Amino acid sequence: MADLVKITVDGRQIEVPHGELVIRAAQDHGVYIPRFCWHPRMREVGMCRMCLVEIETPRGTILTTACTTTAAEGMVVHTASDTAKKAQEGILEFLLINHPLDCPVCDKGGECPLQDQTMAFGPGESRFVEEKRHYEKPIPISDLVFLDRERCILCARCTRFADEIAGDPLIEFKDRGNHTSVETFPDLPFSSYFSGNTVQICPVGALTASAYRFKARPWDLLVVESSCSHCTVGCRISVESSQNHVLRFNGVDNGATNQGWLSDKCRFGFEFIGSEQRLRTPLVKVEGEFREASWAEALDVVADRLGAIIEEQGGDAVGGIGGARSTNEDAYAFGKFMRTVVGSNHLDARLDDGLDARFLAAVSPRAKIADLDRAATILVWAPDLKEESGSLYLRVRHAVQERGAKLVVVHPRRTGLDDRATHKLTYRPGEGPALLGELAGGAGDYAKVLETLSLGPVVAVVGRTGLTEQPQLAEEVAAFALSLPDAKVLPFARRSNVFGALDMGVAPTLLPGRAAAGDSEATGHLEAVWGPIPTQAGRDTMGILQGLVDGDLKALVLLGADPVRDVPAAGIARRGMESAEFVVAIDLFLTDSSELADVVFPAEAFGEKEGTITNLEGRVQKVNRVVTGPGQSQADWTILDDISRRLGKPLGFASAEAISKEIADVAPPYGGISWELLEWDAKEGAVVPYGEAGQPVAYRPDGVDREALAAMSRNPESGAFALHLARTLYDDGVLMRNSLSLHALAPGGAVHLHPADAARLGVSEGSLVEVETVDASVRLPAVIDPSLATGVVYVPFNQPGIPSLGSDLSVVVAAGEEVSA
Amino acid sequence: MSLWPAETQEMAKKLIGRYPDPKSAVMPLLYLAMRQDGYLTEAGMREVASWTGHTPAQVQSVATFYGMFKTERLGDYLVSVCTSISCMLLGGDEVLDAVEDETGVPHGETDAEGLFSVEHVECLGACGGAPAMQVNYELVEGSTPDQARSLCRWLREERPEAVNTDAMQEQFGGRRSFDWAITEDNSAVGPYPAFGPYGTLRRGDT
Ligand code: SF4
Ligand code: FES
Ligand code: FES
Repeated sequence: MADLVKITVDGRQIEVPHGELVIRAAQDHGVYIPRFCWHPRMREVGMCRMCLVEIETPRGTILTTACTTTAAEGMVVHTASDTAKKAQEGILEFLLINHPLDCPVCDKGGECPLQDQTMAFGPGESRFVEEKRHYEKPIPISDLVFLDRERCILCARCTRFADEIAGDPLIEFKDRGNHTSVETFPDLPFSSYFSGNTVQICPVGALTASAYRFKARPWDLLVVESSCSHCTVGCRISVESSQNHVLRFNGVDNGATNQGWLSDKCRFGFEFIGSEQRLRTPLVKVEGEFREASWAEALDVVADRLGAIIEEQGGDAVGGIGGARSTNEDAYAFGKFMRTVVGSNHLDARLDDGLDARFLAAVSPRAKIADLDRAATILVWAPDLKEESGSLYLRVRHAVQERGAKLVVVHPRRTGLDDRATHKLTYRPGEGPALLGELAGGAGDYAKVLETLSLGPVVAVVGRTGLTEQPQLAEEVAAFALSLPDAKVLPFARRSNVFGALDMGVAPTLLPGRAAAGDSEATGHLEAVWGPIPTQAGRDTMGILQGLVDGDLKALVLLGADPVRDVPAAGIARRGMESAEFVVAIDLFLTDSSELADVVFPAEAFGEKEGTITNLEGRVQKVNRVVTGPGQSQADWTILDDISRRLGKPLGFASAEAISKEIADVAPPYGGISWELLEWDAKEGAVVPYGEAGQPVAYRPDGVDREALAAMSRNPESGAFALHLARTLYDDGVLMRNSLSLHALAPGGAVHLHPADAARLGVSEGSLVEVETVDASVRLPAVIDPSLATGVVYVPFNQPGIPSLGSDLSVVVAAGEEVSA
Repeated sequence: MSLWPAETQEMAKKLIGRYPDPKSAVMPLLYLAMRQDGYLTEAGMREVASWTGHTPAQVQSVATFYGMFKTERLGDYLVSVCTSISCMLLGGDEVLDAVEDETGVPHGETDAEGLFSVEHVECLGACGGAPAMQVNYELVEGSTPDQARSLCRWLREERPEAVNTDAMQEQFGGRRSFDWAITEDNSAVGPYPAFGPYGTLRRGDT
């Protein structure tokens, strides 16, 4: 706790931390000082002068900016004296000289700091009768953001955000004096993944979002707080709707997670909710064609056919994939459905892009995101966070850029954090284990890296850098990281609520509450509520799909999962689903996978249902209902409950909240976490294990296992390249495909090669390259990428119209024939 | 990959070497880019961005803030006449009139031929030799309006490849400020390329 000092604000004495900015100190004690340029999450610059206050000094009273003045013992501040008021009025009159006052046609009208503060602190009248500045009315500065330079008051919030927070300084002031305006460089748009934040923090309507322009007035919006479900950070957002349509998301400042910021994927990735393509009724396949069916009809078909398979071949013949896009309550219902109604341990929320389920759920000690703010050194051996988890990327960037933490990045190609890294290590996919061995040994060049890493506290963000990487490598990386001083690991996987689903036991090796499957105490505890559960070893996602191909499994239950699109080995996924005797899917859309199902139930989406989600640090937060789902859609748990009744083994759930109580009951780490707690007391969410509860499995890999590392090393076949297959922020996933503003932003298929390899193959930028793996062969345009090692090609995963290359390391690359234009 | 000729690249490296962070070299490099192309082109600003690690938008921001960075095509000879207070009191306005009249180019413009650009500027830091003017940022002090006319005529007739303070001062200048204080050679090859023979590359050379 910083030292407290006593200051006087408007005659009232308050105690505030020494060195606190006067503007913040006053606000914390109920005195609002007007401001435009100051933003609580950015450095103060004192450039709009709106926050002028009077401060008594030994040399008399001075008029100064409250956003750049720090509190000191005995300071006396007047925020509403005649002089301060006159100054504030003057500044507002000045700011309004060039402002067009077109509030009636401005998106910001009704929630505009300029409008509000003019009403509260302004002079009410202007003496300016001359012509205002004129600019071309809104010009697009990116695909998502428009700029109206006439409205701009030059507070530099947007330009500072772009530089200081996002690290993409693509907008800046241009010209000087009366001509100053915010501009991009010609032909270089503000294509930052975080551009939408500028719309939210612009204190006027100068920046507007293409997805929201002219859709609603702020006072017509129904605003409900919730948590974003696009990645595993669980950013706090406000979901804003009008007439049962979700119209926008805004960031909410949760200090523990996103601190108010959102990536554009999260901010604009709401469009799928209202998509015309959403399923509205159950579908039943008759002679290869889907037919709309009544709820009862669809349930009959499932009861008949799934029931028959379970009866004749046992629950063991059925697999279940999904749950990562559901709430905890839905995922819990799925786990309970698979284990007690179907009687199968073959269930998995990961789509073969993840790591060991026990590692993800229970690596220990596990870091919280906020630990990044205390870390002396941060190790990122994980996917490119800028592509996979915008908010986490911003937190790491902030810790390094603004606080001076050291950063070590290990990845097969360039990542968004490289410009801030103290050390960047690049390696060939397959050779990660060798690199880890050398790094841990600290010989040669690695001594320096190791030296940096031995500055504790260390936070290591650990995940799988790409889809061809050995999944076990991450565990060894974590083991290495945990051998560093005062180290914690933040396990990284990206699929929305995958951590929640694993905590709910949606994995063959886990039971609800991070207990190991097969652990007798945990099983006993669970069976007391659930009744008997199967004991045979379960299969993971690839095991289930392979089982279907081989005929060991006969039926599949899909819960909001699209393995054909999401599993790297798309071929096996497709064949598995085609070989299955019966597939039932619960989904928002007809996806490449649910197309192959026999019965599809329409599910409610994010924003249409209530529940909780758990993020990568184990933080549980509430998500809320804002609009109703289309047609006959239902929450996942309701659908599973209906099916269970038809199968004669009712799950017996009454409501999502009732499920949350059952979770608290059977999963000790979740004991004490209730909706009530999350809604009223735990504003930043509650971290599992909660309260007194411990964690049943503590997965702590003990030290780097050199033999395991040696065994893990792989090289591509001779003559082949090593494939690095990794995700991009925008891709062809089903939610992106149905969010039209974003889908067009997917970078598209390409093959990146090192310049030396390109020269050897006779390939130049943009020329076509033949790429062949065991799973597929495609022709893609070349991108010359000096950030790769030689002998490596990088292909972005899941791009529109491009088949998956699978997760095999070897890829054969050759110059394609030129196609004349 | 740099678009600049080897010599300019060498200069860029040398300038960057003077600073702990390449980003700090943005202004000297802008002068360099300006000398390379005759004015600051988009390509030139991109080039400076890639040398310094700024984004082009940031470079543009700096370039458009300062009056001496020109983002529009100039004539071969940029004549800048000071009309700030000291110069104004000693005839700066008359010098400007003479230059505008002799060249036929008003303030802020360039003639059709691309020979002259004329501007009036704020204090050139040469008040002691007022009225002051510059040709391609090379200083000439204490000129009368007639001398300014001769200077312009000389430029038109001789079309010198490079101009330089000392030579111009001798022919067209008058009293010089701080004559007594300057011992080192302040002409031609100062630390900043702009104070070198800026403008020697004629249009079309690049
Ligand atoms: S566009 Fe908005 S945020 Fe940016 S400088 Fe102008 S007023 Fe400020
Ligand atoms: S808020 Fe203090 S100067 Fe802008
Ligand atoms: S006023 Fe002209 S040089 Fe100073």
